[in-house]
Amino acid sequence: MINGHAPIIRLGIRAASPFATVLGCYLLFAGHNNPGGGFAAGLVFGAVLALRTIAGFLRPTYGITLVAAGVFIVAGVALLPLLWGDLLFDQQVLSFELPLLGKVKTGSALLFDVGVAVIVVGTVMAVLDGLGAAEFAADPPAEPDHQEQE
Amino acid sequence: MILGLLVLHVAVCVLLAATSRRLGRNGLLVGAVPPAVTAVWAATRLGDHQPESADVAWVPGLDLAMTFRVDAFVDIMTLIVSGIGFGVFVYAYGYFAPSAAGIGRFAATLLAFSTAMLGLVWADSVWSLFVFWELTSVTSFLLIGHKNTDKPAQVAARQALMITAGGGLVLLAGLLLVTRSAGTTLISEMMPVDGATATFGAVLVMVGAATKSAQVPFHPWLPSAMVAPTPVSAYLHSATMVKAGVVLVAVMGPALGGLPTWKACGLAFGVASVFWGAIGALRHRDAKLVLAWGTVSQLGMLITLFSVGTAKAALAAVTLLVAHALFKGALFLVVGEIDVRARTRNIDELGGLARSMPIACTVAVLAGLSMAGAPPLLGFVAKEAAIKAALALEGPEAWIVGFGVIAGSVLTVAYTARFLVTVFGPGPETALAARRHALSLPAAVLGLAGLVGYAALGPLNGVLGPAAARLAGAAEVSDLHRWPGLTLDLGISAIVLALGASLGLVLSRRLGRVPVEYGARWTDASIEATMTFGRATSARLQHGSLPVYLVTMAGTAALAALPFLGYVSFDHVVAWDTPLQAVLAVAIIGAAVALSFVGTRLAAGLALGAAGIAVAAVFVVHGAADLALTQLLVEAAIVVGFVLAFGHLSRSFPRVGLRWRAVRMTVAGLGGAAVVVGLAAASRSPVAAPPLTEMATASVDEGGGSNIVNVILTDIRALDTLGEVLVLATVALGVLALARASDRPEGSAS
Repeated sequence: MINGHAPIIRLGIRAASPFATVLGCYLLFAGHNNPGGGFAAGLVFGAVLALRTIAGFLRPTYGITLVAAGVFIVAGVALLPLLWGDLLFDQQVLSFELPLLGKVKTGSALLFDVGVAVIVVGTVMAVLDGLGAAEFAADPPAEPDHQEQE
Repeated sequence: MILGLLVLHVAVCVLLAATSRRLGRNGLLVGAVPPAVTAVWAATRLGDHQPESADVAWVPGLDLAMTFRVDAFVDIMTLIVSGIGFGVFVYAYGYFAPSAAGIGRFAATLLAFSTAMLGLVWADSVWSLFVFWELTSVTSFLLIGHKNTDKPAQVAARQALMITAGGGLVLLAGLLLVTRSAGTTLISEMMPVDGATATFGAVLVMVGAATKSAQVPFHPWLPSAMVAPTPVSAYLHSATMVKAGVVLVAVMGPALGGLPTWKACGLAFGVASVFWGAIGALRHRDAKLVLAWGTVSQLGMLITLFSVGTAKAALAAVTLLVAHALFKGALFLVVGEIDVRARTRNIDELGGLARSMPIACTVAVLAGLSMAGAPPLLGFVAKEAAIKAALALEGPEAWIVGFGVIAGSVLTVAYTARFLVTVFGPGPETALAARRHALSLPAAVLGLAGLVGYAALGPLNGVLGPAAARLAGAAEVSDLHRWPGLTLDLGISAIVLALGASLGLVLSRRLGRVPVEYGARWTDASIEATMTFGRATSARLQHGSLPVYLVTMAGTAALAALPFLGYVSFDHVVAWDTPLQAVLAVAIIGAAVALSFVGTRLAAGLALGAAGIAVAAVFVVHGAADLALTQLLVEAAIVVGFVLAFGHLSRSFPRVGLRWRAVRMTVAGLGGAAVVVGLAAASRSPVAAPPLTEMATASVDEGGGSNIVNVILTDIRALDTLGEVLVLATVALGVLALARASDRPEGSAS
C-alpha cells in the first residue's frame, strides 16, 4: 500500500527530520513558559524516529532502554530532594546569564520534562518494535496476508 | 542502632546481589558480616534490660510507621537469628562446592531473609510485623526453590509460599481486628482485650501463627521444604523462620492471653502438633525429614507453653526456644555434613559413622541428648521447667498440657534415640568424602552451646528470667535450676527418659514401612485446584479476539457512569460560547458518523483523523494551546501507527454478523451516554471555586514558569505525572511482551 522505500518519501523524511528535531527541542525548552513540554517534545521526537524507521534509516531496538532511562530520570527528580531534606519533587530553580541568550531561568522541572520526553520516545520505539516496523520497512508486504477474525 | 543495623543488612544485601557473579562462594563470607555485627550487639545488650526503640514515619497521615523495639525477649531472638545466621553463612561456605551454580544469588537471598527475620523480630507496630512476616515467606520461597530447575524444589517452594503467605493474609485480617479493639497498633502498648471482635481476631492471629510455625494441619510444607540446601533447613526451617509463629504467640500473649478462645486454639494446635510431629519423626527414614517432623513437634510444644501464659510456662518456653535453636541447628548441620560427605541421608544406608565421623557424632550425641532432655544439657533444664509449669496448672488445662508435655517428651526421647542409633550406630560401612572445617565448626559450636548453657545457668537466669517476665506480664519469675533435687518432676523426667529410650530402640528397627504423606495430599490437591481455577478463569477472560476485548472494556467503562446518574442536570448547559464551536461540533459529529459507515480501513483512518483535528480546534477555540498541540501530535503519531498496521491488515473491514453488530452498537451508544452523564454530572455543581489565582501565583513564584498547564504537570501535580509516565512505561513493556509472545510458536504459550 505504502512503500517506505519510495525515493520521494525517503528524501522527504530525511529533509524534514532536522527541522522536526529542532521543533522538538524548542517545545522541550519552551514548555515552562509557552505551549510545549516534555510530552509534546517526546511525541515530536517519536514521530521523527517513527518516520525514519519506516524509511529504513533506523531499527527501533532500544525502546526499553530509553524507557528505563526516562524512569530513572523522573524518579531521580522526584526522590533526590529527599536527600537534602526537602519535600518530594521540590523544585530547584536556577537562573544565570548566558552569552547571546541573556538571562536564562531553568530548574529541575526541565529535567523532569526531559525524563518524560525520553519515556515517550522509548514507548514509541517499543510500539514500533512490537508492531514489527523494522520488518515492514525492510520488506513492505504487497498483499494483506490474513483476514481479521471475529 | 536498630536502624543502623537494618541499613547495614540491606546495603550488604544489595552489594551481594550486584556482585553475585564475581564474588561467587566468597559472597557467603561477606554476607556473614552483618549477622556477626548484630549478634555481637545483641550479646552486649543481654545484661541490661532497657528497651530500645526506633521508628521511621512512613505515612504519618495514616498512622503508618515502621516501628521497632528491642527488649529482654527480643534480644534473645536477635541473638538466635543473627548468631545462628553467622554460623550458617560459614557453614554454607563449606557446604557448597566452589563452582556451585547460583551461589552468589543464594548468599544475597539468605541475607535478605536474615534482614526480614530481624525486622520481624524487632517489629513493634503490627504493620511492620506483617510486612516483614510476608518478606520472610517470600525469601523462604526463593531459598526452598534454590535449585530452580528441580521439579520437587519447585513444588515444595510453591506449597510453602501458598501456606505461609496465605497464612500471612489471615494474620493481617486478625491484626486488623485486634488493633481495632486494642486501640493501638503498637504491640508493646496493647492492653488485654476482650469482646467478640478481639476473639475473632485472636483466632485469626493464631491461625496465621500456626501456618508459619507448621502446626497441624498446616504442617506439610515444612517436611517438603527439606529439599532446600541444608543451611536453609537449619536456619529458616528449624532455628528462625518457623519460630516466627511462636514469637507472635509469645508477644501477643499479654494482650490476647486473657481470651479463653486464644488459649484453646493454641493448645489445640500445639498439642496436636506435638504428637503428630513426633509420630512423623518416628516413621521417616530420611534423616533430614526425621528432624523436620521433630521440629513440627517441638514447635507444637512451644505454642502450647506460650499459649498457657503463666510465668512458669513462659520461662519454660523461652528456655526451650533457646535450647531448640541450639540443638536442632546443630543436628541439621551434622546431617548436612553427612549428606555432603556420604551423599545419602537415608538412615538405612548409613552406618559406622560413630567411628568414621567422631566429631560429628559427638556433636550429634550432645545435641540429641539436649533434645531428649537429658542432663547435663540445656534441654534438660527446659524440660524440667515445662513439667514443673504443667504440674502447677489446675483444672482440665493441667491434664491437657501435662499430657502434651509428658507424653510428647516420651515420643521426643524415642525419635531422638532412633535417630542417633540408626544414623551413627551399626550398619553398612559408609564411604566418606574428605572433611571440611567450615562444615564441622559451626555444628560443634552449636552442639557445645547446650552444654555451656547448662554450666552457665546462673548468668543465663538473668537473661531468660526477664524475658519470660516480660512475656507473662509478671514482675519476676523464679529461677531455673540445674538439678531440681529429688522431686516429682525429676521422677517424671527419669521415667520419660527410660520409657522413651526403650521405645525408640525398639522402634528403630521395626518401622520399615515407607511413610505415606497424609496431610500433604489435601494441600497438594488444594494448590492444584487453585491453579486449575486460575487457568480456567484466564481462559474464559482471555478470549483472544480483539473486538471482544474492546467491547468488554468499553462496556465496563460505561458502567462506571452509573453512580453519577443522580447528579445529572443540564441547567448550566449553554449552546455555545462562540458560533465557531457549533461549526466544529458539526465537523466532529460528521466525522464520527462517517467513520462508522465507511467500509475501507484507510477511509476510517482519515475520518478518525478528521475528528481528532476538529477536537484540537475546539481546544484552540477555548484557548488551551497545550492541549491542542498535544492532540495534534498524538494524531500525527496515530497516522504512523496506521501506516504500520495497514501493512498487516485487509483493505476493507470484514463482514460483521447482525447480532454482533447490535452488541457493538449498544456498547458504543452506552459509551457515548456514559461520557455525557459523566460530563453533565462533573460540571453541575462545583464544590469550590477553582483555585486559579492561587495556582497562577504559585506557578510563577514556586514553579518558576509562566505556562501554568506545564507547571501543574511538572511541579504542582508532579506526582500524578510521575504515575502517568510510569503507566506509559508499563505500556511499552506490555506491547513488547505481547509482540514477543505472539512470535513464539503455537503451543508454547499457555
